[in-house]
Amino acid sequence: MKFNLLAIIVLFISVLSFTSCTEDDEPKTLAAGEVSIEFDHVFGSNQLPFTLNTEFTHPRLSEKMTFSMFRYYVSNVRLKKRDGTWYSVPESYYIVDLGVNDGTHLHLENIPGGEYTDIEMMFGVDSLRNVSGAQTGALDPAKGMFWSWNSGYIMLKTEGTSPSSSDGSFAFHLGGFKGANAVPTVKSYSLGKLVVDGDREAEIHMVANPARLWHEADGLAVRSKTHMPGAVAKQMTGTFYDGIVFDHIHN
Amino acid sequence: MKTYGIIKKTLLFFGLTVFFSCQEDRDTLQMRYPGYFPEPEYTFGNNVLTSEGFVLGKKLFYDPILSKDSTVSCASCHAQEHAFADHGTALSVGIGGKMGSRNSPAIVNAAWQTSFMWDGGINHIEIMSFAPITNEVEMAEDMNHIIQKLSRNEKYKSSFQAVFGKPIIESQQVFYALTQYMAMLISDDSKYDRVKQGKSAYNEEESVGYSLFIQKCVTCHPEPLFTDYSFRNTGIGSKSNDTGRYKITLDDRDVHKFKVPSLRNVALTYPYMHDGSIRNLRSVLDHYSEGIRESDQLDPSLYKNGKPGIFLTEDEKDKLISFLNTLTDFTFTTNPLFAK
Ligand code: HEC
Ligand code: HEC
Repeated sequence: MKFNLLAIIVLFISVLSFTSCTEDDEPKTLAAGEVSIEFDHVFGSNQLPFTLNTEFTHPRLSEKMTFSMFRYYVSNVRLKKRDGTWYSVPESYYIVDLGVNDGTHLHLENIPGGEYTDIEMMFGVDSLRNVSGAQTGALDPAKGMFWSWNSGYIMLKTEGTSPSSSDGSFAFHLGGFKGANAVPTVKSYSLGKLVVDGDREAEIHMVANPARLWHEADGLAVRSKTHMPGAVAKQMTGTFYDGIVFDHIHN
Repeated sequence: MKTYGIIKKTLLFFGLTVFFSCQEDRDTLQMRYPGYFPEPEYTFGNNVLTSEGFVLGKKLFYDPILSKDSTVSCASCHAQEHAFADHGTALSVGIGGKMGSRNSPAIVNAAWQTSFMWDGGINHIEIMSFAPITNEVEMAEDMNHIIQKLSRNEKYKSSFQAVFGKPIIESQQVFYALTQYMAMLISDDSKYDRVKQGKSAYNEEESVGYSLFIQKCVTCHPEPLFTDYSFRNTGIGSKSNDTGRYKITLDDRDVHKFKVPSLRNVALTYPYMHDGSIRNLRSVLDHYSEGIRESDQLDPSLYKNGKPGIFLTEDEKDKLISFLNTLTDFTFTTNPLFAK
């Protein structure tokens, strides 16, 4: 009995909301679809295509570096509709990982159909999720992006080798969500016009530049390891995030 | 349809701590604690507390499957008869006999804790287990490998499914289950509690000891949990390179500060302090009374008339120890529901 009543109410509400939809000034309703964000990676100001296990020379430091791992968190993606309202993607946490197949390609599913003009995203993981216990998906500690002894996400993790480092290797595990050295950074980008309509392709291309980690920071001869939050993590991620730009879209 | 909220069975030997009720086909458990306890910090949230979840957590806690070579379980370093502190060892010993750098603390009333570890580096009970599991000198395992091992084991696989209703095991469920067990390790039936509840009375010695405790110790070890969970420098290990809280905050003021431990069951958790450097309660009191040296980070409340230390006569030490012994809770250390 109770169940039936509930069903009727739900039906009634959904009918109501449908009718209000049709009164929108949107000429035709576009179907929900996937938006994908592709992160392309280049190295240094001359924009060499960046891949793992290839030797690069850092232009500012003149140090040789070969990366074996490059991963970072992107989260809290929001899209701005033509009418100025924002759509926040639910449970929006991703790891960009150059070491896995399709790992630089974020798939945002079931985005409401329509025209979007801007995108906003956070580089890093918001402080709330750093203090909320056991998480799943991209935030699962089993992904190797969580510090066990000093709770918090490793928001950017890169490792590799370099003849400039005293022991031949480098490892930067950067994160921190508290105080002045909090790493998470929100950036928004103007897209022009992104159309989401069912199966139609909607792909956003971004460009990130790993050399920007050392845009201001000391070279590997001075520091080749960082495994904790602090000023170094803040500085290195800060210049890297700063250099992430929007490139173009495929509609 | 089942009626919600009806108590199915009350298990007497769980003391006043817990009762089972029936909800959505699973036996949900509820935390029970005395009225003079504050609200717990951890209230389970998305981690629905059930009797099956608690039992699964207990099974994991006692199972060396969580270590790389199946030799070490959580219980190897956290023994019920010692209120889930170590078996009298100063520094913990993990996989392959490897020595840790700190003393295994008791696990008592963990649901009230605001942070975990001697330096408070862990901010949530649900991810507590991640540290010992992955620590090279403790269990040296990888979460993904544990999940593989558990998924291959039919009994675990079906228990996980029954508790969490998901087709695959994820790290979150391993952490949730261990949390269900740990958060229910509530100690509230010591002589201190019975006196508090009017069911017992202190003898002369204990009574004087209690007054001394209230005068001298409660700035840091307040009732009823006997800690304020703050970080303080009490002059222990001041020359050691274990800088304690500083490791987490990188704030110079936090050098050699450690979390104030609860004193519940303290008679059973020897040896004492973050480095296990003090062997018995008498020596702890000797330290407070005569052993504290001046230093920049020494807690201000440890100065009396400009001199460092909490001075105690030998007679006062005896009485304080009598009181500290009233914090032992044998109902807790012998509760079959917590045992393997
Ligand atoms: C090799 C010994 C060892 C093993 C195995 C071990 N622990 Fe511990 N445990 C310790 C030590 C040592 C500490 C304190 C570490 C520190 O402060 O750095 C600790 C701290 C803790 C704490 C925090 C207590 C507090 O007061 O902050 C909890 C809870 C805990 N362990 C639970 C577990 C669980 C659950 C497991 C199994 C998954 C486990 N431990 C396995 C030695 C061990
Ligand atoms: C300024 C705060 C402070 C005061 C006052 C204080 N304590 Fe402590 N107590 C601590 C801290 C912090 C630790 C842990 C220190 C460490 O491991 O380095 C501790 C540890 C202990 C321990 C060891 C517990 C264990 O499990 O290892 C005992 C016992 C103890 N205190 C008893 C007392 C008594 C009795 C008094 C009063 C005479 C007292 N404390 C006063 C802060 C305090």
